[in-house]
Amino acid sequence: MRLSELLGCEVVDERGRSAGKVHDVRMVQDGPPIGQFGASLRLIGLIVGRHAIGARFGYDRGAMKGPWLLRQLAGSGSRSGRYVDWELVRSVDPAGARIEIAGSVDDLSPPEPMP
Amino acid sequence: MQAAGRVLDAGLKLLDRQLIDSQGMLAGKVDDLELTPSEDDPKVLYVTAILAGPGALAGRLGGRLGHLLERVSNRLRDTAEDRPARVPFGVVKRIGSAVDLWVAKEHLETDRVEQWARQTIIAKLPGAGDAPQ
Amino acid sequence: MKNLVQVALGVLTAIGGFVDIGDIVASTATGARFGLALAWVLVVGTTGIMIFAEMAGRVAAISGRPVFDLVRERLGAGMGLANLLASFFITLLTLAAEIGGVALAIELATSVNYLLWVPLVGIVVWVVVWRLPFETMDNTFGLIGLALVVFLFAIWRLHPDWAGLAHSALHPTVPQGEGHPTYWYFAIALLGSAMSPYEVFFFSSGAVEQRWTRRDLIINRTNVLIGFPLGGLLALALMCTAAIVLQPQGVDPSHLSQAALPVSLAFGKLGLALALIGIFACTFGAALETCLSCGYTVAQYFGWQWGKFVKPAQAPRFHVVVLLSILAGTLLVLTTIDPIQLTEYSIVLAAAALPLTYLPVLLVANDRDYMGDKVNSGASNLLATVYLLLLLVVSVATIPLLVVTKAGG
Repeated sequence: MRLSELLGCEVVDERGRSAGKVHDVRMVQDGPPIGQFGASLRLIGLIVGRHAIGARFGYDRGAMKGPWLLRQLAGSGSRSGRYVDWELVRSVDPAGARIEIAGSVDDLSPPEPMP
Repeated sequence: MQAAGRVLDAGLKLLDRQLIDSQGMLAGKVDDLELTPSEDDPKVLYVTAILAGPGALAGRLGGRLGHLLERVSNRLRDTAEDRPARVPFGVVKRIGSAVDLWVAKEHLETDRVEQWARQTIIAKLPGAGDAPQ
Repeated sequence: MKNLVQVALGVLTAIGGFVDIGDIVASTATGARFGLALAWVLVVGTTGIMIFAEMAGRVAAISGRPVFDLVRERLGAGMGLANLLASFFITLLTLAAEIGGVALAIELATSVNYLLWVPLVGIVVWVVVWRLPFETMDNTFGLIGLALVVFLFAIWRLHPDWAGLAHSALHPTVPQGEGHPTYWYFAIALLGSAMSPYEVFFFSSGAVEQRWTRRDLIINRTNVLIGFPLGGLLALALMCTAAIVLQPQGVDPSHLSQAALPVSLAFGKLGLALALIGIFACTFGAALETCLSCGYTVAQYFGWQWGKFVKPAQAPRFHVVVLLSILAGTLLVLTTIDPIQLTEYSIVLAAAALPLTYLPVLLVANDRDYMGDKVNSGASNLLATVYLLLLLVVSVATIPLLVVTKAGG
């Protein structure tokens, strides 16, 4: 499957409540070695519901500080993001752009910021 | 070689990044990523390749424009296969502000359209192979 | 010593290369219709392009990445493509306008209809882009463009009412017979002529073409801080001469000859010759910049190898795009669309499209991962943000004003 098939999918919990759309995908490098790259990247979670623009602008990272106005505009979106551990995912329907997870959206917490 | 255990957000760190080959030449962008299930457990997904070129970009853009782009690109690549050009993840050297590769771009599937353009058009013009200016 | 020559060359090229057909048309038209009431817009526009180009040049020198490469990274594939389509289209329009401008300048010199020159101009533009080294190309036409300085001298020679000129510039009022919407429409056109997006694509890609590094930041700064204001002064001179000669006569300039009229009044045939040489060099240089920018934007969005710093055979798709763009631009002019009107549309749409490319550059200029310690200072960020807001307002106001004023008619 392709990464693009996951992006934009609506994430819904057991009761059908939506956590938002997938905006990014978190990976860890601990899979079997691949070619000359090293350990391959493994999918570990979904970043959901955060306004894509804010993250794209880069204000999550410590490296971006200014300008003040853009930071304010971008920041208001990022606080609503949620992290979905890949273990919670029960089904993925790329055609319908829908991902079903176990548990409740209320149990999800915001994603840890990346360095 | 990358340090093991590193965590990254693929959309931010990989997608839409420039691919740079072993000679420092530009080799396209990371348009999409190929995820393959593990043999032991189909729920575990690994990144096995970078997908690049109009076919892959079409997947990102979606819709009718996307499908059209994909068909045009497959024709140009002179292949009957219905899949985009693939850069195996094993040739990735480093993920930084760009994605550096271990190989030269000629060895990549993604170079076919560039080669087509070179042979069909540019090579016919005088001075195409002259030293850079 | 060599460095000093290099810096001086860069500054002179920046001055001579600042003006293009958009500046000529906009400055002359506003001078003729509004006197110096819109001179302040030239100040705002020149300051704006200085901020924009300095950031883009700094980003290119430190990160090695030109503007359009960053647009996709910051806005994503979808929005980046929308941005590309808009930017490419407008740059192509500008290219056509420049080709038209070159043909018009030759027509003025030879009295042979400009349409007959257009195909030749297209071919020569392509041959120059194909064969001439980047720096030679850039410097040659930039330096010859300095001939426009004759407009500056013409102001003196015409013995204007200095006090009146100063008053009109410092106390801008909408003259009798012109409406307020038209005033603001021309303000936008003037801003678009001073702050063309293609200049930034070219400037930042040029920085990578010439392999700028940290050490070249000082060249970047001098080119921008000294070269651009002096270039803006040339545009102001065009506005002034039009205000002195054309406005009292109530002339609404619709021919390139009217732009050069003040100079021929002041200095006769010699002055006219210098003006035409200057106009030719400026528009030809701008044609080279815009066709390369057409290639830069497309290649940098898709990640193809681009640039004149590699063999053409190593950047085939880039060169195909450049070739096709010149072809398209030439064909557009051959449809006999009025080149002056084409120019007006290109600068107005350019003004509307500015936020698209300005925003990603502003973001990256603030990113320590790319810039290290060379990120924007707080003060420059404040100024840059003010400009961003201004550009957004301009962007929103453009189409309504275009419709209401019937394109400044």
